[in-house]
Amino acid sequence: MAKKKASTITKSSTAEYFAKNLQQVGFSSPVKAVLTTLKEAVDNSLDACEDNHILPEIEIKIKKLGAGALRNTDRIELTVEDNGPGLDSKQVPMVFGEYLASSKFGKGRCSRGQQGIGISAATTWALQTSATGAKILTKCKGQRKALSCMVVTDLKNNKGIVKDKESVSWDKPHGTRVSFQFDGRLQLNGEGGILAYIRGNLLLNPHMSLRYQLPDMEVQYIERISQQVPQIPPALPPHPHTMKLGEFISHAHLFNKYKLSEWLKKGFSRVSDKVVNEIMSNSGWKGKGKSALISSLSDDDFKKIFSGVQKTQLKAPSTQSVMAVGEDALALSIQRLGATDYFSVVSRKPTICDMKPVQVEVAIARLEERTGDSENPVSVLRFANRVPLQFDKSACAIVKAISSVNWKSYGLRQSRGLLPIGPYIMAVSVISPFIKFKNASKETIDAADELVAEIRKALMTAGLRLSRHLKREHKAKELEAKTQHIEKFSPILVETLCRILNAPKKRKERAELGLKKILGRDHKETEKQLAKAEEKLSEHLAGQKKRFSVFQEEDSLLSQDDESTEQDQEAATNGQEAETSEAENTKGLKKTKASSKKKASKKVAKKTTKKATKKVAKKVAKKTAKKSTKKVAKKTTKKVAKKTAKKTTKKAAKKSTKKVAKKTTKKSNKKSVTKKSSKKKSKK
Amino acid sequence: MVKYATRKQSEIPYISKQLCDKILTDLEKAKRPVLAATKCSLDNSQYSPGLGFLTPGSKKVKTELNVTSVQKMSRAIFMLEILLRNVGTGGVNTKRELYYICKGLLKQNPELKPLDFDDQSESDSVIDFICEILECYREELNCYANDRGGQTYSQHLVVTETMPNGEVAEIDLSKLGTSPFMPKNRPQNLRLSAKKKIDFCLVVESEGTANTIVANGMTRRHKCIVIGAQGVPSNAVRGWVKRIQDQLEVPIFFFGDLDAYTLQNIYRTLKAGSAASLIRNKDFSAPEVQFLGVLPEDLKKYDLFAYDVNAGDASEMRSIKKARDALENDPFFRSRRNRGLAKILEWLIENRKRCEQQAFFSVDGKDPQIFEKIILEKIERGSYV
Repeated sequence: MAKKKASTITKSSTAEYFAKNLQQVGFSSPVKAVLTTLKEAVDNSLDACEDNHILPEIEIKIKKLGAGALRNTDRIELTVEDNGPGLDSKQVPMVFGEYLASSKFGKGRCSRGQQGIGISAATTWALQTSATGAKILTKCKGQRKALSCMVVTDLKNNKGIVKDKESVSWDKPHGTRVSFQFDGRLQLNGEGGILAYIRGNLLLNPHMSLRYQLPDMEVQYIERISQQVPQIPPALPPHPHTMKLGEFISHAHLFNKYKLSEWLKKGFSRVSDKVVNEIMSNSGWKGKGKSALISSLSDDDFKKIFSGVQKTQLKAPSTQSVMAVGEDALALSIQRLGATDYFSVVSRKPTICDMKPVQVEVAIARLEERTGDSENPVSVLRFANRVPLQFDKSACAIVKAISSVNWKSYGLRQSRGLLPIGPYIMAVSVISPFIKFKNASKETIDAADELVAEIRKALMTAGLRLSRHLKREHKAKELEAKTQHIEKFSPILVETLCRILNAPKKRKERAELGLKKILGRDHKETEKQLAKAEEKLSEHLAGQKKRFSVFQEEDSLLSQDDESTEQDQEAATNGQEAETSEAENTKGLKKTKASSKKKASKKVAKKTTKKATKKVAKKVAKKTAKKSTKKVAKKTTKKVAKKTAKKTTKKAAKKSTKKVAKKTTKKSNKKSVTKKSSKKKSKK
Repeated sequence: MVKYATRKQSEIPYISKQLCDKILTDLEKAKRPVLAATKCSLDNSQYSPGLGFLTPGSKKVKTELNVTSVQKMSRAIFMLEILLRNVGTGGVNTKRELYYICKGLLKQNPELKPLDFDDQSESDSVIDFICEILECYREELNCYANDRGGQTYSQHLVVTETMPNGEVAEIDLSKLGTSPFMPKNRPQNLRLSAKKKIDFCLVVESEGTANTIVANGMTRRHKCIVIGAQGVPSNAVRGWVKRIQDQLEVPIFFFGDLDAYTLQNIYRTLKAGSAASLIRNKDFSAPEVQFLGVLPEDLKKYDLFAYDVNAGDASEMRSIKKARDALENDPFFRSRRNRGLAKILEWLIENRKRCEQQAFFSVDGKDPQIFEKIILEKIERGSYV
């Protein structure tokens, strides 16, 4: 009997694994390869800028160099350049050539990148399809020369290798340019297209200015509309209830020199002295007490303490680590997608879903360019930590939440369980330091019940605001239809009736008059309803204006000196509001780093940046408000004016005829009386 | 007492003019005219075992003139004018023809364009609306549907028809060869007589099966009438069977599939009329028709092929759901008189089986007369509901 051959067990590196499974990280097709490469490069640039408080200026260039080596592909050159802090020469191979080398992994911050896989995967794709790596040009602040090199991945050892290293002059003070050449297929339009990605990024990054050049297109430049770099709150310690036993023990060993009570308080959030005592009593572990050193505890001790933690009721995790775009910025940003005739933005307060802090923001806009497109489903823009998600939308929590809302009650058309229909854009952004994705390529957010419910709430609030507009539109249409009905059908109905009955002309005229009176009453009723709807809408618009005109007042301050005193007060109150709302978001930051100097400098910076953005805000608010109200106002005023004119002329005519009649009768009466009296006198 | 008698044609012009005059007078007074029509739906249906057919309840659908109903009212008056013209001149049209007549008139007169119909269903609903207001049959307004179903075979039946010009035509069905006699939409004008006493009349759901049993000689061997219903009976079939019931006084049997659809939609309509035609059920239902089969007991007795109701088939599941609704809401199935039929429905819901009428041919594949034999045996045995 032949001996069974012993199987050899080999060990492979992380890089080798990802190189063989690039589809798991977004490189499943030539089309997705282009988009994922772009996405990873832009995400890195934006994260770097925001971490260093730099207003990002991103430049994207995509070129077709010819036919690719793979079938049905083009050889594509994709370049992304930023004005970030730059990378030093040691960081370059780690960032672009090494897998799982990240400054953000597991830190629980709301950054775009998390694991340090994406850009290394892009280098591997370039290496596999065109035998080149990532071409880097980077310069840090204060450096005379920039570093130019090529980075490739050593797959066996999971290391980045730098090639063709040289110092070159670059007129930029600091920044990084990364360029890839690879085989891919360029898709510009559609939900998975490059343009959709760019639009999404523009919406959620109002502080970014972007210059991009795509094949067969001229250079496009989009200016930033916010001068404020979003400050990402620092990560908070983990919440004890989010940990499993193994994690709990390994977390403890990071604090080996600490006492048990100190570790529990410093290593976790929501644990105070009182809570420590509670945990100890719930665990039933007495051992060396809460002052025992972590290093002296055994695994059995940890098990008991862990069970004590599980039994103890704790406050929900803090929401301070979550940072959103905000309604003001979203309202401005949405205008960069195209001319809108209506928009509504909702930014929910941070909340806890599945023991993780989450904030949801929703923007709904009706784009003028899509007004004819009333038979297709709304276009959905999904975002996770401000990164557009473009694939596998059906299983995503955002799409599930949109489909589960009954949009009919807000005036939109919808088949049950499907996306609503109409020329709208629905942008939903989920921000959390711990977003649960369904896959490593981070394209689908896991549809956990609590998260879906939270997104639904935001959508329903936005829907409610939308319904005010639609109701007004519906009433205006109804009024128009009714006036048309009166004009069209009343003569036909009366004429046919008279024909059947051989009725005389007089009856016909009387009936026509009567019919107009009847239908006129309905018309008046609708006019009243429209007026009500208008009133509600204008209240809503006024509220919206208030919210988005934080900067408007200040801006007008500069131009109108006369009204300076009043506006000063308003601006001051608005400024306070803005500060308080921001204070809520950045409490954590302030607690740790706050100093009076910084506060003062921040205030100054805020004021200056606000002034610039307010101008844009003012224009936007004015445009949208004017457009919607002007149309209806014109129609209704014309109609009302006509009617009232008719009525008044009729009334006036009646009155005048009555008066004349009265006068004449009085005169004739008088005459007759005088005649009679004169006759009597003469008789006498 | 609920009114279920309908208007005669001679009354229609007078009533119509009265209606128009009332509308015009209301308009002159700037008062909203209201048109009241009988509500033709199941919730306004009543069933009395004594009468044997569904009659309308007291519910009325009132259409008050307002901005939204002005189009409907204008259309109704416009159509009424055309129909009155037909009644006056003796002109006859189908619904489809009336649709095109309206289209033509509207095309000629651009002022009438707002009344235009997008499709025939719109003009049909206006015609039905007029019938409900005037409480008359569509046929009384000289509007007929296409003749469908009711092919009748007999060697002993003679039909006498009075023509519109007064002439009388006599049709001896035994002299038509293999051709059947087709009843018209207005069978009330027909008079029936039998050359010899007729034993029974058999209405078969499938027209093809009716043809087969006649071709195999059933009408030659037995003194009977065989009618093919061709699915849900049309007005012509319903009126024709009613005529046979009233004038010949012979037992009438219906033979169809064993499923909820046949019982509810085909047999119930033939026997007691439908909820949609409440105002015409008096003359368009034959309450003495009996359900000969297929009965649930036949499945065992003749070892018939039966199918399970397909849970994946939406229409089959819908019919089961409708059967459940019928047991709860349909006054016909709730009546004690029809307890036997309700039991069949219950059996169908419980067992989720269906059996087609042609399954009787499986009893003896070599005998072409097997179908006829079983039917006669069932009639003799009294195996019917």
